[in-house]
Parts: sequence; structure tokens; C-alpha cells
Amino acid sequence: MSAEHQHHSHIDQTGWAKSLILFGLGIYLAVLIVTGNLANYINLRFAWLAYVGVAIFFLLALVNAYACLNPRRAHSHHHISWDNLLVVAFPLLLALLVPSRSLGVEAVSGGIGLSPVGVERASALTRSPLDRNILDWLRAFNRAPTPAAFNGQPVDVSGFVYREPSMGEDEFMVSRFTMSCCVADAYPIGMPVRSGAAGEFATGAWVRVRGEALADLFQREFVPIILADAIALIEEPAQPYLYP
Amino acid sequence: MQIDLPRKAFPLPIKRVIFVLLTALVLSASIYQALRAGDDLYLTASVFATRFLGIFIEAVPFLLLGSLTSGLIETFVKTDDILRFLPRSRLGAALGGTLLGLVFPVCECGVVPVTRRLFRKGLPLSMGVAFLLAAPFMNPIVFASTYIAFGFGGVLIGRALLTVLVAVIVATVIGSFADPREVLKPTSAKAGEEHSHHHHPQGGSGLGAKLFSALQIGADDFFEMGRFLILGSGLAALLQTLVPQDSLLALGSGPIMSVLFMQILAFLLSVCSTVDSFLALAFVNTFSTGAIISFLSFGPMVDIKSTLMFTGVFRRKIVFYLVLLPFVLNLLAGVLINVALGY
Repeated sequence: MSAEHQHHSHIDQTGWAKSLILFGLGIYLAVLIVTGNLANYINLRFAWLAYVGVAIFFLLALVNAYACLNPRRAHSHHHISWDNLLVVAFPLLLALLVPSRSLGVEAVSGGIGLSPVGVERASALTRSPLDRNILDWLRAFNRAPTPAAFNGQPVDVSGFVYREPSMGEDEFMVSRFTMSCCVADAYPIGMPVRSGAAGEFATGAWVRVRGEALADLFQREFVPIILADAIALIEEPAQPYLYP
Repeated sequence: MQIDLPRKAFPLPIKRVIFVLLTALVLSASIYQALRAGDDLYLTASVFATRFLGIFIEAVPFLLLGSLTSGLIETFVKTDDILRFLPRSRLGAALGGTLLGLVFPVCECGVVPVTRRLFRKGLPLSMGVAFLLAAPFMNPIVFASTYIAFGFGGVLIGRALLTVLVAVIVATVIGSFADPREVLKPTSAKAGEEHSHHHHPQGGSGLGAKLFSALQIGADDFFEMGRFLILGSGLAALLQTLVPQDSLLALGSGPIMSVLFMQILAFLLSVCSTVDSFLALAFVNTFSTGAIISFLSFGPMVDIKSTLMFTGVFRRKIVFYLVLLPFVLNLLAGVLINVALGY
């Protein structure tokens, strides 16, 4: 009887901590969905996973909280240590301390890809030049019978500014990360841009570049280079990555 | 009393070290956020945070589903039911284990809590190990994603055959340990009778009470396995931030090196098996077919985060085998495929 009594008066601290962490993780995923910041982390094709996560986190948090309020109905679970709880709370800590950001120019290490990634889709070829993004351009270029096939076509792409060490004053690379699943497989690609105004744009800034295409040698490869007429600073797009 | 001591030896020092390192990283990130002066370290920390959270966010729903499945198995599947249908021979059990994925469709994050639960219910070692290695591929979702990415052909068939082959071989080797206690941690081994009685006293036997109990067990499983997922995601993100993908790509040519590097990449990236086909597509132009098939077979079996999760189920020596054997076998197979195709 006295053991029973003790059980009731004791507040299940780790039990409440578990509920709190589960609830917190659910809220975190929900906030990512609502603010659109989810796009910073995963391909939105898999956004439904986050919905599933929110639902299960809330369900488990409720069940745990209910068990804490009604210790008699609680399952006689083994103890989860504070160490363990702290590790599981780590993502929450990180999310609170470091503001949500997409991978940008500082995540580029070891240069930018100049060839397309992923499956070749016919749509990249049939799409009108002005609708092509950087990935479409690289794909179309890769499939072209001769490098010169796209010379003179109008280009209108956006991305962040990246500079190779070898690049001159009048050049930069307009770049995007491609992402198949999540940021784990993010890979940077880009097109060189030539313009007298190139030097005005800081590395890492998001820009929209308009101009015309020219096949030219860059790092001993024929790539589509943009001879820019107009470069404008833009906000980072809602979907910062290109999905192959 | 004396037996209790090794059972409590759960937190390995290595995990503490990793945890301390990760905490240090976050602290330095937050200090830099406050100062905003030294941009570089702050930016590196921010890239790390994005990578870490990306891997975590994509993997955590699968771990939750696996934990729920584990809870449901605990409350609704009787140990006797499992034992009744088991094949007698070790090879038969291993083959059966590869097919078990069709019954419990889980990916590599979900499979670990389910396997642990099945071990506790008395599943033989060889069957459990085969299930652990094969299930992340052997399920309808991954069939579908591989088919969508590659169509019906060499890659899909090669992936399936290689997965089953490697899983059966590794399972037979590890199943040859006579005593499961040599292989499993005490918390994953089959519980004694007095323990299983202890499990359902208060809940009652109604469906609602059983579901309630299953959800609680699922939540506990999430915490126990979640810490390994988080440590693994942290380690993967750290390595990705420090080791540029390009340096791997540049080295990975030739029939042997391409396979080797695709496997190292699979280990480092720790991408979920349900989506890794789309990722592999990114490499079809750069890497040999053998390398692609090995990537798709090895990646779902072993990567950084699943290795960490294995340490919550198996003894350390066995975790070492569980990583090394699939690595070597897949490497051999990938090179053979390349040789046969004339690379």
C-alpha cells in the first residue's frame, strides 16, 4: 500500500520530459511546414513525410502526457535516462539556436558541377529557352548535337553568385544546389556569367541573370556561358534548390 | 547483483565523446551568432545545422513508423506465434528473414527497432540479421522507387539479387554464434518468462488498452533508437561538411575504385532507402553500373546512422562484422559485375 502511495505522489519527471520533447519536435515540424522552411531541408516531393511526423509526434506526446497524469494506466516501461532525453532534444536545441537557412555559397566545397545531374528529361529540350533553369540548360546542352546549337538563345536564370579562384573581374558563376531527396545529397551546379557589371555582385548574393547563351571553353570544357545584358539582385526563392 | 552491472553498461564512452563534440559545436555556433564577427565558423556551423536537420527531418518519420510497428508487435504478437512458423535450418531462417520485409515494410531507420523487438520475442539470429539487412530494400515502397528511377532492368534485378545474397551470407555467418547473448545486447535479447508476465499487468486486455500500451512502447522505442539516429545524422552531417563530395567523385573511376567510392559515399550520405534510387540516378553518367548496384545494395544495409543504431541492439564486435561483411561482399559483387560487363 505504501509503495502504491509513493508511486502516486511521485511526479514522473522523465515522463513529462518525454512528452515535452515529443510535443516540441511535432511543433518544430509543423512550424517548418507552415513557414515553408521545410524547403530548406528536403525535396518537397517528400513533404508528406513531415505531415506523418507531426501526426505521430503529437499522438505520442498526448499518450505520454495522459500516462503521466494517470500513472495507474501507465505501461511499466523501462527508464529512459536523462542522457538519452538530452540527445533526442538536440535537434530542437539546434533549431532554436541556429536560424533556418538553405545551403548557399558557403556550403560549396571543391567547386561547382558544370554537367547535369539526374535523369535526362525530354522536357529540358522542348522547354522554351526562357523557361529553362540552370539544370535544364546543362541538360539541354549535354544532349545538343554540337556545342554551338544554343548560341544566341535568350537566357533567364536565377541563382546565387559563386566565384572560382581562377575567375576574372568580369565573371562569376550563377549557381544552384540540386537536391534529389534531402540536403544530404545536395550538389551545386552552375553556369559561368560574363558581364562588365559582374564585380558589383557579392559572392553568395541571389541574382537573376538575363542575356544570351554562348558555348565556350571554361576549365577545358565546352559549357553554356551567359553573356549577361542585365543582372538584378533578388530575394532567395521559396524553393532554393532545383529538383532533378 | 553482480549480473546487473554489465547490463547497465549502456552509454558507451564513444557516444559521450560524440555528444560532447556536437554540443561544443552548437555552443560555438551560438556564441558566434551572438558576436556575428567571425563569419566563417558561424557559416560552417550553419551549414552543419542545415545538413544535420535535413537528414534528421527526412529520417525521423520512418523511425516513428518503425517504433509504432515495434509497439504493435510487442502488444499484439505472441512469442509462440513467431516460434511456430519458423524454418528449422539456419539457411532457411536467413532466406525467410529476407522476405520478412514484405510483412513489415520498413526502411533502414524503422527496421532497427522492429528487429530489436522481434529479437526480444525470440526471433532466431540469422533470421533477424537477414531481415535487418534486406528489409530496407525488400518492401513495396523501395521496389516502386527503384522501378520509377531505373525501370525494369539490370539495376532493379541486380539490386534485388545482390541484397538477398549478401543478407543471407552475413546472416548465416552471424547466426553461427551458438549463444544469442554473445551477439545481442542484454536489452535486445529474449526476455525471461518473469519479465514478459511483468509487461501487461495494468493495461487491461481491451483493444483500446492494448493500443494505448503499444503507443507508449512505441514512444520509448523512439527515444531509445532516436538517440542513435541523431548521433548518426550529426556524424554524417559533420563529415559532409568537412569532406567535399567532389574529392570522392574525382577519385571514383575505374572498375574497382568506382565501386569502392560509391560505397563510401553511400555510407557517408546516409540517405533513406526509400529515396536512394533517385540519388543514384545522379551518378549514372559518372559511375560504372557495378558501382550503382553496389551503392543501392550496400547503402540501405549500412550507413553512419544505422551503424550507430546497430550499437543499440548488437554487441560492438558484431556491429563491426555487420558493417564490414556487407561492405566487402558488395564490393566484390560490384567489381565482378563491372568485369562481366567489360568495364
